[in-house]
Amino acid sequence: MKSTLLARRWFSVAALAATALVLPLIVSDPFALDIFIRVLLFAFIGVAWNLMGGYAKQLSLGHAAYFGLGAYTSTILLIRFGISPWIGIIAGGVVAMLASLPIGALCFRLRGPYFAIATIATAQVLMLLFLKFRDFAWGAEGTTLPNLGDAPLMMQFESRAAYYYIALALLAIGLAITHCIERSWMGFYLVAVGEDEDAAEAVGVDTTKIKRHIYLISAFLTALGGTFYVEYIYFIDPNTAFSFNVSVEAALVSIVGGIGTLWGPVVGTVLLEATSALLQSWFGSGHGGVQLTVYSLILIAVILWRPSGLIGLFTDLYQRFTYASAARAKEVPLDG
Amino acid sequence: MLAILAQAVINGLLIGGVYALVSIGVTLIFGVVKIVNFAQGEFVMIGMYISFFLASSFGVDPLLSLLISMPVLFGIGVLLQHFMIRRVLGLGDMPQIFLTFALSLLLMNVALLLFTANYRTVQTAYSELSFHIGPLYFPVAKLIAFGIAMLLSAILYLFLHGTDLGKAMRAAAQNREVAMLMGINPDRVFCVAVGVALALAGAAGSLLMPFYPAYPLVGQIFVLMAFVAVVLGTLGNITGALIASLMMGVAESLGVQFVGADSGLIVVFVMLLLTLALRPNGLFGGWAR
Repeated sequence: MKSTLLARRWFSVAALAATALVLPLIVSDPFALDIFIRVLLFAFIGVAWNLMGGYAKQLSLGHAAYFGLGAYTSTILLIRFGISPWIGIIAGGVVAMLASLPIGALCFRLRGPYFAIATIATAQVLMLLFLKFRDFAWGAEGTTLPNLGDAPLMMQFESRAAYYYIALALLAIGLAITHCIERSWMGFYLVAVGEDEDAAEAVGVDTTKIKRHIYLISAFLTALGGTFYVEYIYFIDPNTAFSFNVSVEAALVSIVGGIGTLWGPVVGTVLLEATSALLQSWFGSGHGGVQLTVYSLILIAVILWRPSGLIGLFTDLYQRFTYASAARAKEVPLDG
Repeated sequence: MLAILAQAVINGLLIGGVYALVSIGVTLIFGVVKIVNFAQGEFVMIGMYISFFLASSFGVDPLLSLLISMPVLFGIGVLLQHFMIRRVLGLGDMPQIFLTFALSLLLMNVALLLFTANYRTVQTAYSELSFHIGPLYFPVAKLIAFGIAMLLSAILYLFLHGTDLGKAMRAAAQNREVAMLMGINPDRVFCVAVGVALALAGAAGSLLMPFYPAYPLVGQIFVLMAFVAVVLGTLGNITGALIASLMMGVAESLGVQFVGADSGLIVVFVMLLLTLALRPNGLFGGWAR
């Protein structure tokens, strides 16, 4: 029974992966591809947020700090030193990890709402600093990235499909890391910290250390997303790179989809980005505020009626369905 | 030099009085209901728009529209507590933080849709008026705002210490279970607490209108100020929040005067991080942590 369940799960993951891989071969509309790339990217950032916010319940609203650091590190390396973004993306991740140490040391002393507020402040301070760095980081005007044509070694491609596959690879890496952590001792420690920090500490979990470690991983992954994003849109400025919306969306997709679950951020992003795309096609992109109005309504609805997220809804339905069929299967030998 | 310093302190104190109304609301909700209201700034914004539309459509003076914005926001607060906050109490950090956070996003963006991002101002007879004492000048509109803010804070203090409902509120803040055993209905007390807190935010909005523009994101700066002041003044401590708000106003004003006009926000954030790092329990003791 267990092995068939496992086999079914692997089969559905394989089917999903195959669909994701052939999707750009079928869909060539650039607008649709752009939506797919955004879905993959924000699902990936949601996955990175979820490691810390979902499992350890450290509800950060400042992940834009790492998104921005990743974006700026690789762009500065590219433009000032001519270093390929493929190296820059890793360098950005390392910078984000280094930055997460002092930020974590400061913020982890706080709990609940005040942790969230402190993380908002750190991201905003970084944004304000980069607005001031006029000589080195282009200040408020930002800069466009040099267009090198089709240069795969510099992470620049003619076709959108290439960007799609990079984003897909990022998401796959994020999900694989989450899957491994979820099943390791670290995952159990994180959940213990998330459930009750004092109790976890009392039974011998080094909560400070475990929070620091997961913050390192989460910051690293978020920075990869930042580099990818500026390489994709060919533009960087502090308001884009450290956008508060990035912090919000990272948390939002995880909560709407299912906080502290492997697939939650993916489900949440698909739903929210699909909604956003529909809204754009109905209202056009001129109406500021429509998208976030709808997002916040969805968030309020999820919190009031389904705090475990929409993935809970699907698993509930799935279980009801499988239990019902299992119960029917049992009845047969009893009668006969 | 001394005159410039004194002038900066006066400016800071006057705006600090308005910050105090917002901070007292945040700390009251935190003390009684144990929720951090991320949307408090948006209720200031609603208060401002109420005053703006009353002034532009019916010519009502913003200070007079206080009598409308306060009851309206009290009503919104009671409904908010009864239909939303009550449902997430005791459910852990995630729903408690993200409910009011989502509400803040919602109100900002609905305001953006309804009123656009334009700045709205109300010109009153006293908007530009000021009087001088020696080298110092006192803008009348800010002075009135400060005076009414202090008056409202004093009334709240008397309400909490002199009336049965106020005492019940403080009792529920100290220990909810024991308060229930004494026959206090916590739901009712919570509704009043959130209502009063929002009414104060509405009052702040109306008081700001003669000298401050209204726009959809205006609440952000006030709520951030309030968060710093509330921590600095010890969570749940109303007098602490009042004193800390005045200090924040002065700190911001000194920052703008001596560091640069665009440094106001940096000063706030740095103060917030320093406070959280050095004095996470605030400067003063208090009756609720």
